[in-house]
Amino acid sequence: MTNGGGEGGSQRRELQGKRSISRGNDFAYAVVRMAAAQICESVEISSYQESQTREGLRFSSFQETALETLTDVVIQYIQNIGKTANFYANMAGRVEGNALDIVQALEDLGSGLGFDGAHDVDHCLADSGVVKDIIRYTGEAEEIPFVYSLPRFPFNRGKRPAPSFSEIGAEPPDEHIPIWLPAFPETKMSNGSEETNVDKIEGDVQSRENGPSLSSMQQSVDVDRLKVQKYMDQKDVQKPTEEPEPEGNPFLAAPLWIGEKNVSRVFPPPELTKEEIRTNHVPEKYMSKSHHIPALEAYALSDKINDKNRLAETEDGQKRDGGRTERALLRFKIGTRKASVCWTLNQCLEEKGWFQEDGYKREKKVEREEKRESIDADVK
Amino acid sequence: MNHGQQSGEAKHEDDAALTEFLASLMDYTPTVYFPFIPDDLVEHYLAKSGFQCPDVRLIRLVAVATQKFVADVASDALQHCKARPAPVVKDKKQQKDKRLILTMEDLSKALREYGVNVKHPEYFADSPSTGMDPATRDE
Repeated sequence: MTNGGGEGGSQRRELQGKRSISRGNDFAYAVVRMAAAQICESVEISSYQESQTREGLRFSSFQETALETLTDVVIQYIQNIGKTANFYANMAGRVEGNALDIVQALEDLGSGLGFDGAHDVDHCLADSGVVKDIIRYTGEAEEIPFVYSLPRFPFNRGKRPAPSFSEIGAEPPDEHIPIWLPAFPETKMSNGSEETNVDKIEGDVQSRENGPSLSSMQQSVDVDRLKVQKYMDQKDVQKPTEEPEPEGNPFLAAPLWIGEKNVSRVFPPPELTKEEIRTNHVPEKYMSKSHHIPALEAYALSDKINDKNRLAETEDGQKRDGGRTERALLRFKIGTRKASVCWTLNQCLEEKGWFQEDGYKREKKVEREEKRESIDADVK
Repeated sequence: MNHGQQSGEAKHEDDAALTEFLASLMDYTPTVYFPFIPDDLVEHYLAKSGFQCPDVRLIRLVAVATQKFVADVASDALQHCKARPAPVVKDKKQQKDKRLILTMEDLSKALREYGVNVKHPEYFADSPSTGMDPATRDE
């Protein structure tokens, strides 16, 4: 891994490997990493030197891998406490956890190493050795004054439960829906909400006011897209004025009719224009009747004529369209390689006005307009 | 909660220690950055595993417990690191200015006592015995 980008590559690989274990949330992981590093740095053991001076040994640095492992362990530890505490709470018939549930969970986790009073099964939980250890640790650790090198992360999720029907004062739409359930969010297109999600991610990251945006950022990383939707909906319910309603997916919008939208001109390549001059009047008349039909016929004819040209069309659609519609009756042999040459030539043509032949200028203008409209038809 | 033969007064005393401690935990936020792990972060991970609690003091308790755990692990790793025979000091100026680095080896030894098995795979396998039990291979 001695390449220039090798370090980034190895980090990325490491990240991907870690992701499979416990990293569903990059931001939280980074915060835990910082916290673990700070804790490690604050640990000090005293050693007596030969000169009888007390010296505190500390970690001065750490291996990246070791720190990441420690971070994973910390995350698992917290999750384990939560899981065990929840288990004890449920055993007692409760949904919410208790201080004593946590104490029991800590005892469970600490039983491997042992703590004071572990042998006593009947002891009071509040008097547990675990608690005493923690109290003692708190007293000791506080002596070492420590200040965060970075400001505290505003980890504000802004979780607000969705207001229920009764809170809003709205009637549930169907009678099978009880009134105490959360109200339905405002209906909007899902793509629109995802767009706003993306906007929020790119926007503020660490401002306390945009708590919901932080939440959206976190949860966008989560695999559970439903959660994202839910929070986005909540956010939209609560702050409808903040973001304008998106018009909808532009890709699903109805197709444009000819002439509805001004499209930029398309300049056919010079080979086309040369032959256009000869056969101008024919396609012109052809196209003056109606705008759609010549395009369709042009498609049909071109399909018949040349498959290769069709491939070329897809690559360079705009230019080809202009040529194709006019030259419906002709076979065009333009390859894709001449594209760049054609463009520069077209710019010259634009200035000079189509081979300096005044007679055809008017025709050309008419063609251009019709070409433009037919391009619209083709693009659809 | 099973108190056995404990009297009601003793129960209150036991509770008092805990409650006082919990109350003292809440005093920390504004001035001293004591729990190194932010509350929101702990709450996030607890919620992830299903533990719900509106009481902030319990979150603090978990944060402090985690901090204690990490500190214990780190101190054990520091002990291992210090106990490692130091490299031969050739310069006279360089006395015992050893920079201690938290390495995977020390960390895995420390975590093994806590029941966490972390085996860092060897980068190179020079010999067939690489990666085997450290007792069998010489360091």
